[in-house]
Amino acid sequence: MIIKNYKILKSTNLKAKELAKKGADPWTIVVAKEQTSGYGRKKTAWSSPKGGLYFSAILPKSNIDDLQTLTILAAFICAKTIKENFNLETFIKLPNDVWINGKKVAGILTENIIGREVKLSVMGIGLNTNIKKFPKDLENIATSLRIELGKEVDNGKLLKQIIEGLKEQLRTISE
Amino acid sequence: MQTTIKIDNKVYRIEISETEDDSLKVKVNDKDFFFTKNELGKSRFTDSYAKNLNGETKGNGIIVRERIDKEIKSPLAGTISSIAVKIGETLKPGKKVATLIAMKMENEIISEGYGKIKEIKVKENQSVNSGDTLIILE
Repeated sequence: MIIKNYKILKSTNLKAKELAKKGADPWTIVVAKEQTSGYGRKKTAWSSPKGGLYFSAILPKSNIDDLQTLTILAAFICAKTIKENFNLETFIKLPNDVWINGKKVAGILTENIIGREVKLSVMGIGLNTNIKKFPKDLENIATSLRIELGKEVDNGKLLKQIIEGLKEQLRTISE
Repeated sequence: MQTTIKIDNKVYRIEISETEDDSLKVKVNDKDFFFTKNELGKSRFTDSYAKNLNGETKGNGIIVRERIDKEIKSPLAGTISSIAVKIGETLKPGKKVATLIAMKMENEIISEGYGKIKEIKVKENQSVNSGDTLIILE
């Protein structure tokens, strides 16, 4: 696994797609401390201030059904990682979001480039980890692990656990 | 660039040159092989049939394009969220033509070859099935 760390990016998915087009290996992980134009499905904005965990994985070439399954499983992997590390009750809002106490804590966006077959795939995950406070327009719909736990969490450890979970699941569903 | 290589006691004369449209021509003995580089940065082999489908002749050399399909079809069932091209536009490999939201994912549909758009068969927010024609090329 190659992890590429950036201080600031427009979007980790955009950077991952750019690197994949240049031939970056599968499971290259793009991590940003901050995103200026993070986005979710239908290009809805994903607030990405410093403190959160924002990353995208370049996925191995897979068939489209497996990618869909992995996208749904990614929400379960995030929820499981949160539950096992912090014993917080999570709720999965299918297909792509994880909630805690009725507020969004994580979102997942898989993007594919397809010609006659799938050319490349990236999966982006935004996890609100060490965000102390959200702006007024988001404070009723978004939360963070820092807010729920009252303490900071280890972004690096969570990143590795989630990536390992994704790799394991993709291996299983591709078999 | 010219060189010779020997495989199993057989000698091959190799001549590599660029064509006018930045394709790569690799001549092995008397047979020509053409490669183009698409927008994904990968060299692709284009066979000699391509010239019959969409070839152009410039000067003394045949410019070989990639073999193209006359239609771009939806690879999945889903909803077209945006169309990135217009009628009359010329496509080349790697050009994004539409975004399809399908199976919980966002899918950028790209052209795999060259061609001029004759007709766009779908509109934004339209639902499509796998195999539906999105774009017809001249």
